[in-house]
Amino acid sequence: MSETPLLDQIPDGPWPSFVKEIKKTAELQDKAVAEGKDIKMPGSARALLKQIEISYKDKKTHWKHGGIVSVVGYGGGVIGRYSDLEDIVPEVHHFHTIRVNMPSGWFYSTKALRQLMDVWEKWGSGITNFHGSTGDIILLGTKSEYLQPCFEDMMKLDPPFDIGGSGSDLRTPSACMGPALCEFACYDTLQICHDITMEFQNELHRPMWPYKFKFKFSGCPNDCVAAKARADCAVIGTWKGEIQIDQDAVKEYAEWMDIEEEVVKLCPTGAISYDAEKKEIKIDNSNCVRCMHCINKMPKALKPGKERGATVLIGAKAPFVEGAIIGWVAVPFIPADELFDTLCEIAEKIWEWWDDIGKFRERVGELIWRRGIGEFLNVIGQEADVRMIKHPRTNPFMFFKEEELVESEVVKKLKERGMKWRSFEYEGEEI
Amino acid sequence: MVEITYTEEDKQKVLEKLDQKLWKIKDLAKVLRMNKKVVQKIVMDLIEEGKAAYWSSGSTTYYATPRYIEEYEKRRAEG
Repeated sequence: MSETPLLDQIPDGPWPSFVKEIKKTAELQDKAVAEGKDIKMPGSARALLKQIEISYKDKKTHWKHGGIVSVVGYGGGVIGRYSDLEDIVPEVHHFHTIRVNMPSGWFYSTKALRQLMDVWEKWGSGITNFHGSTGDIILLGTKSEYLQPCFEDMMKLDPPFDIGGSGSDLRTPSACMGPALCEFACYDTLQICHDITMEFQNELHRPMWPYKFKFKFSGCPNDCVAAKARADCAVIGTWKGEIQIDQDAVKEYAEWMDIEEEVVKLCPTGAISYDAEKKEIKIDNSNCVRCMHCINKMPKALKPGKERGATVLIGAKAPFVEGAIIGWVAVPFIPADELFDTLCEIAEKIWEWWDDIGKFRERVGELIWRRGIGEFLNVIGQEADVRMIKHPRTNPFMFFKEEELVESEVVKKLKERGMKWRSFEYEGEEI
Repeated sequence: MVEITYTEEDKQKVLEKLDQKLWKIKDLAKVLRMNKKVVQKIVMDLIEEGKAAYWSSGSTTYYATPRYIEEYEKRRAEG
């Protein structure tokens, strides 16, 4: 009989299962031990499953958090976790998480990944999460005494890996793939993410603020790293002036695309017009809100304007104390070549202010709500600007009426496979 | 950038407090009526010297002496 009958049911569902993956890791760990490899935490993956099974039965967690877990000189990057079932699953009594600073844009070579995994197979459970919500590589499960040697081995790799941020510090900055893969990038997200990470090593590794602070860099308003929703300081690429139009390419699109229906009518400010006879489009750039829809639909014909840079939005966060906050525009436009210096200057002013008057576990966005955008603008030395609006004049997020919803092909296929939508009972009423 | 300086006496005051409980820099500066940046610098230097250490609650990081943290951990383990 299986030791984990409840967990064994999970991989039967339609989604990828963590149980299946941990079981695979357990087998790999057993194999490595049989081959005589130096494995410091044998049996930990299997023990983890056992502990989760017990939690499912007991309907409570058996993890405890906190403690003295770090590496020499660092105050963050390791999240201490202990099991309260030491006698039953001693293999996971210590099961600390290490956050590893990922490269800008999450570009890896297989060599780099293999090296890192070899280190983790030796010093930890072998279980990873690529990636955590901040973007770090997450190494799940090691003992206190293995943290330092594991860290030292990571530092000796080629390329070396460093630990990321955690606690009340600068969290590991993250960036979209930017100009490496995307022609819409209005600045070099990869370079600036790297430069900011290097510039603020002290802030990244030594937590001393009221709470966390995140930088996220998106190369264009598509905002592929969701910076405007999640970063205290979101740096989003944008442009000044006119969207570049290649009318010959527009004509090519017109061969197979209904430009009027798919582009013109979906422009949120009605800034585009289309001459069906000439097969040419015109854009009233003064009304463009940088929603990116037209550029996304016709990338060969339309490109962001030539004068490129970034907008800095401040104060976004995912829910915790006060609920979700979308970032406010703090600096409408910084030319790409001035971005690093300006960002450093602004960040230092914000940290000084926030660290002085911020309450315990209060994010910058919450502090701005408490003290007002006026005070904040004084702090960063910006004049109020019409673009620093609390609510946009046109909602950039799309909401649909029930009758407008069309079932997606994915949902149809899942239904055909027998998947049922979950419903929940609340006081006898289905909701 | 202005270099932050402090006296040996200031350092001693900080160290004494760190041996009494887990602290956040801001609170420590308030209690000692000292400039936060100076306290920050002293604590960082003490960490470098091994006379102070970090302790994490899981989401928040505190500072104390290794002796205090060891004692605190012992109490925590006993429940």
